[in-house]
Amino acid sequence: MKSPRKIDCREAAERLYDFLDRELTPDLEAEIRAHLDECAKCFSLARFEDAYLSFLHARTRAHRAPEHLRRRVFERLFLDGGTSDSD
Amino acid sequence: MVGAAEERRRTFEHEALPHLDAVFRMAVRLAGDQALAEDLAQETMLKAYRSWHQYRRGTNVRAWLLTILRHTFINAYRKARKAGPTVDVSEIEQFRVFHDLQDSDPEGSFFSQIVDDEVLRAIDALPDEFRETLVLSDVEQLSYAEIAQVTGVPIGTVKSRLFRARQALQQRLYDYAVEMGYIKRPSP
Repeated sequence: MKSPRKIDCREAAERLYDFLDRELTPDLEAEIRAHLDECAKCFSLARFEDAYLSFLHARTRAHRAPEHLRRRVFERLFLDGGTSDSD
Repeated sequence: MVGAAEERRRTFEHEALPHLDAVFRMAVRLAGDQALAEDLAQETMLKAYRSWHQYRRGTNVRAWLLTILRHTFINAYRKARKAGPTVDVSEIEQFRVFHDLQDSDPEGSFFSQIVDDEVLRAIDALPDEFRETLVLSDVEQLSYAEIAQVTGVPIGTVKSRLFRARQALQQRLYDYAVEMGYIKRPSP
């Protein structure tokens, strides 16, 4: 297996969110991972930002549609035929 | 035998309707108002049902619904939105919060003291295009490609908006946590 290309802290920081969002190709992901393994500061930054993104998701995801809206939508869709306009 | 209308209803009910929560969540963030968001969410689901035959099986149904939601919002609701943005995303100091806290709170544990409502308020203060990008990514967990599709911009634009939105929001939440005494800003 070929070892990943060496990248510096600036490049790692630039692609940090792509990495945490799992949006990188396997090669680019390996480059970041290799950098994080040997750079304590970037590793610490990655952990901090990862905690932040998990926090954002946890704090916003619980919000749900109210029951009366759920009922209203169901009725408009299936009991009115779902073809009439909303006003 | 199952008729076409019945099949349409059955598939929509099973595949699209469970995403009403996501549609409503996004509607609240776009409209900035609960009652308006309910109307917007309802109209979105009715439109989606009428054009259900256009939905391509196997693609992300949530992204499809949120695209309809966004168009509906822009065409009919945007003027009614009340609050304007108050967060400046033009001056982002990259990873400033981490640099401040790397010694005192490297794991970002202060985040856990910030309540849901405060996070939502801070999101609502982002400018439109930054707010929608962040919500699609960090609330609804769409991929960059899906966000690009929903918002009609290139992936590079999605990435730069997301970066600035996340950093601006993080800095605002940090300033708030300092103000509330949850955490101390290190002395320079």
